[in-house]
Amino acid sequence: MQQVNIERLLKQDKPVPLSPEEKEYLRTHYLKKHDVIPKWTHWFNAAVWGFQLFTGSALINSTLFKFMPDWWINMVSELFGTRANLLKYHILVGIIWSVVLVVNYLFGIKNYTIPFIRRNFVLDRDDILWLINRGLGILGMKVELPPQGEYNAGQKLFAMVAIGGIIILIITGFIMSFHIGSAETVKWAIVFHFIAAGGVVAGLFVHIFMAAVLWEEHPSLASMITGKVNELYAYHNHFKWWKEMKKLELEVRERERKEYEEKAKEMGLLPEEENN
Amino acid sequence: MVLNIDRCVDCKACVIACKAEWNVPEGYSRDWVKEIGPVGEFPNLKSAVYPGLCMHCEDPPCIKVCPSGATYKDEKGRVLVDQELCIGCGYCADACPYGARYIHPDLGVVDKCTFCQPRVDAGLEPACVETCIAEARIFGDLDDPDSEVYRLVYKEGAVPLHRGEVNYGASVFYMGEKEQVELLLEKAPLRKTRFSTAGTVWRIFRPLLGVAAGLSFLGVTVAAIYQLIKGEPKIEE
Repeated sequence: MQQVNIERLLKQDKPVPLSPEEKEYLRTHYLKKHDVIPKWTHWFNAAVWGFQLFTGSALINSTLFKFMPDWWINMVSELFGTRANLLKYHILVGIIWSVVLVVNYLFGIKNYTIPFIRRNFVLDRDDILWLINRGLGILGMKVELPPQGEYNAGQKLFAMVAIGGIIILIITGFIMSFHIGSAETVKWAIVFHFIAAGGVVAGLFVHIFMAAVLWEEHPSLASMITGKVNELYAYHNHFKWWKEMKKLELEVRERERKEYEEKAKEMGLLPEEENN
Repeated sequence: MVLNIDRCVDCKACVIACKAEWNVPEGYSRDWVKEIGPVGEFPNLKSAVYPGLCMHCEDPPCIKVCPSGATYKDEKGRVLVDQELCIGCGYCADACPYGARYIHPDLGVVDKCTFCQPRVDAGLEPACVETCIAEARIFGDLDDPDSEVYRLVYKEGAVPLHRGEVNYGASVFYMGEKEQVELLLEKAPLRKTRFSTAGTVWRIFRPLLGVAAGLSFLGVTVAAIYQLIKGEPKIEE
């Protein structure tokens, strides 16, 4: 197999045209993108969002607040027997959700929570430029997108909206479920509960479309199951992350090789002259 | 229900009976008797009593604002609260011009007159009606032409407490001496429907959220159709 000079690609600060060999190399090599627990958290979240939106949309029932038609509200209510039952399930799932998330973020604080916030709750210059250029791109202009990290600026923004939304939803959900505080508090809780849910739903359409439909981003959907993405996708879409991970990988491989050689030499498995 | 204010002596036995029947907490009540007046100048003073309770309106403003649908109208036209569904926000209490709703301090949910639903369904009269010493309260089915309330409302001219925009089809009617009924209609304390800041904020945000979610959905639909038309590359690039 023809040798590919990865160092050449690592020296650049943005993606460059690739030779067929380099392309083939990147296409057939994979990087680990997601750990096991975050993957489960993602799908657990997805399931909870599905259930809570399904039940919640039918719970909101008044001229002032509702945005689903009556037939939907009646259908979902009948599915659960009574509306009081519907509310009970909505609250129960919400409580389970909050417990799982709190355990998750509390015990994962060192490995996941803080690193995730550090990496993804800050938009750098490239991110801002990416957002502007992406917007121009959607409007039909041909503009170059600056290289992105582990998550692109759009994904970062959605993460902020979703995580902020979840925190608001859980806090206001508890206030509403257990009538915590004065009636005025509950009034505000309702408003914030609905605004948070609506805001996330607006982003959710794009999130689902990007992963499930848009072919350029399709590897990211598979990566939520396998945990891996091929390097070609990473190279084009998350260049800064690819570079970082690739350097890390090369370092680890180099260290492994040295350790192996030392051990092998100690045990006399390697002839001295060949090592020199 | 028809209330004959000529007969009411302001003894408040109805309020006590209601509190006893439904364990209404101290400092709150589901019904009331208020004094109106005296107005005018001596010696031409006028006054009236205003016994009141939930008017069980035909088109109640409280139902429109209840976010969870806990407030509803049952098949007999009574406005009731499903306390299991109620989250205690009090939008309904703010919306009621008669002030017929309160938030139960221990339960954190809204409580109100039910026209004594469990008693009436069991064939009894509401507690306030049963207890009224002067028989000022007459309870019955307004849809039944043979009933006493039907006669009093449609033949004797008992009137609901409506004034200005407070006109929601009340099911409680007042009768008595003309001057006193007029005083009651004119002076009985009605609140303007209050709308809290939170409610106003929601009114602003609701269309915004609709637009945001709508645009987002529209956007991805257009993008999906674009992808259908354009197709994907056959070989992974």
